[in-house]
Amino acid sequence: MSLAAIWEFIAGDSRRAPLAVALAVAVAVVLLRNSVPSTVVATAFAGIIAFGLAASVFEAR
Amino acid sequence: MNGWTLAGTSFLASAVEAVEALTIVLAVGVTRSWPVALRGTAFALLVLGLIVALFGPLLHLVPIDQLKLVVGIVLTLFGLAWLRKAILRYTGRKALHDEDAAYAREVSALRAAEEAQADRIGLVTAFKAVLIEGLEVAIIVVTFGAASSAALGWSAAGAGAAVLLVIALGLALKQPASRVPENAMKFVVGIMLTSFGTFWTGEGLGIAWWGADLSLLLLAAFYLGVSAALVAAARVRGRVPA
Repeated sequence: MSLAAIWEFIAGDSRRAPLAVALAVAVAVVLLRNSVPSTVVATAFAGIIAFGLAASVFEAR
Repeated sequence: MNGWTLAGTSFLASAVEAVEALTIVLAVGVTRSWPVALRGTAFALLVLGLIVALFGPLLHLVPIDQLKLVVGIVLTLFGLAWLRKAILRYTGRKALHDEDAAYAREVSALRAAEEAQADRIGLVTAFKAVLIEGLEVAIIVVTFGAASSAALGWSAAGAGAAVLLVIALGLALKQPASRVPENAMKFVVGIMLTSFGTFWTGEGLGIAWWGADLSLLLLAAFYLGVSAALVAAARVRGRVPA
């Protein structure tokens, strides 16, 4: 089983959703390092993932 | 972490995959023989059981924050993939999974196989179907189990209960379970996996979720609202000419 097949098994065929997850993690790391309150970070984190879901639904297939 | 929530999500995910595997196993049972179909199924369940038994406890050797981060990201990706497909099916942009059509296809392919190899092909077909459908469940059970040994027990119990229920259904009906609301179940599982994944990724990064486990409910409600809005928006977009 190739890495591409394993990746597709876990993440499906969307490009935008995994990018959104990566972006959410990066933004959370930056915000936490800048002592932003957890509530704000949590909201931004979940919001970016939700945005990624939306982007993936309207992604060209 | 509420055990019943873990068991419930595992149960739903397992039930959906078990119904898809049941369709193939039924096709093999009807075209070849039940001993062939059940042998293939048993071998696959053994392999899946070994995966869970081996990898589940191994995960606890990894430091908890790193484990939550990795497991959380995997669950989030998994959940988003399930949720995306369920939303696309609700909007008609992806075909609903048709168990009757899948059954007919498999029966046709098995009947076309050469008699001398038919039993071997039947065994391999049943084995592959149960293994592939079961791998997603094994991943869910193992990643849920990363939270604690008790969590592994709850999620494995949920998965096991679903498998037993679907097997009983298959033995009773002896036909594909085409009336099971698969897409609705996948939609709910997608929301739960995405919620758990978001929660654990956040904990792994150092986010202190408001209300601790209560945030899981809030995340699930949030993703449910977003998904419902996306279904509505995608349907409207589909009706508007480009």
